[in-house]
Amino acid sequence: MTVSAPAPICQPEPICTAERCQWRCALDVIDELLRQPGAVTGAEMDQLLDLRWQLGQATAAEVALRLFCTLRIGMERRHYLAFFRIRRWLENHLVSVCRSADGTVVQEVPVRLDHYCVEAVRRVCLCTALSQPGGAAGTRIGFEFVNWPTGRRAVREVVAALAV
Amino acid sequence: MSTTKTTTTATKKDTRLIEALNLSLADTYALMSLTHLAHWNVEGPDFFPLHKAFQEQYETLFEAVDEIAERVRALDAYAIGGLGTLAKTAGLEEFKSPLTQKDYVAALIVAHEKVVDDNLRTRDLAGGGGDLQTQDLLIKRIQWHEKTLWMLKSYLKG
Repeated sequence: MTVSAPAPICQPEPICTAERCQWRCALDVIDELLRQPGAVTGAEMDQLLDLRWQLGQATAAEVALRLFCTLRIGMERRHYLAFFRIRRWLENHLVSVCRSADGTVVQEVPVRLDHYCVEAVRRVCLCTALSQPGGAAGTRIGFEFVNWPTGRRAVREVVAALAV
Repeated sequence: MSTTKTTTTATKKDTRLIEALNLSLADTYALMSLTHLAHWNVEGPDFFPLHKAFQEQYETLFEAVDEIAERVRALDAYAIGGLGTLAKTAGLEEFKSPLTQKDYVAALIVAHEKVVDDNLRTRDLAGGGGDLQTQDLLIKRIQWHEKTLWMLKSYLKG
């Protein structure tokens, strides 16, 4: 009986190319962490698997970011490089979206994960959005995936739009 | 002797190898520039050792750039140059400076890994074409990058 290998959840081509995101795929990094004997605790393993699932689905950026921040606080000291790779990958695949009260998108800004807490990241994104032309109409800010094979826009387009 | 001549002539016509060597050249130049940037801007309690280590690294990379470019010329081809061309060819992501000490080291690790990957392909192309001199040059380059990766990764272990 022939057993074929399952298709990888993360299929970055063609949107996520090496030119756009050369940081190793976050799912690979998580897999590598999970493979290392004794590298993670049982609770961390559960959360890493949750994060892996969220990144594979790419539908709930807010949940993924919250999970990442929780894991980062507890694990970054022991696995700095791994979390650096995931952090950079998230920065290349997340965008913060500022909306008005009626839900209209008034501004989109790239996400920088310089802080360890989602609300701190949100605050920085909101300040950036509000400082842009038209951003003052924004009342709430959330996170969405970009650069994903489902056809989301690239972070570089968001950056280019901000520069105009 | 005749075998050597044939091999050299064949290698000189191998445009794939020249392109790969020029990519290694661009990678090395871009990495040198990033390491120089880290040398200038790194801050924190480990400033002195990191500042010194980064200096040693970009100086080594500067010498390597010359060696690779001269190897391209020895193969009767032209080395690429100019900051824009080198940066575009290398495709290394620039640092969003300023970074923390650890982020500079981590970002350099990622850049070194990309250079090693490209150099491995160049080495294999040279080996496949029987160009042992180019292969030897790439082996030396890969060894140095791997040693540097070990040192940088050791710094991050805590």
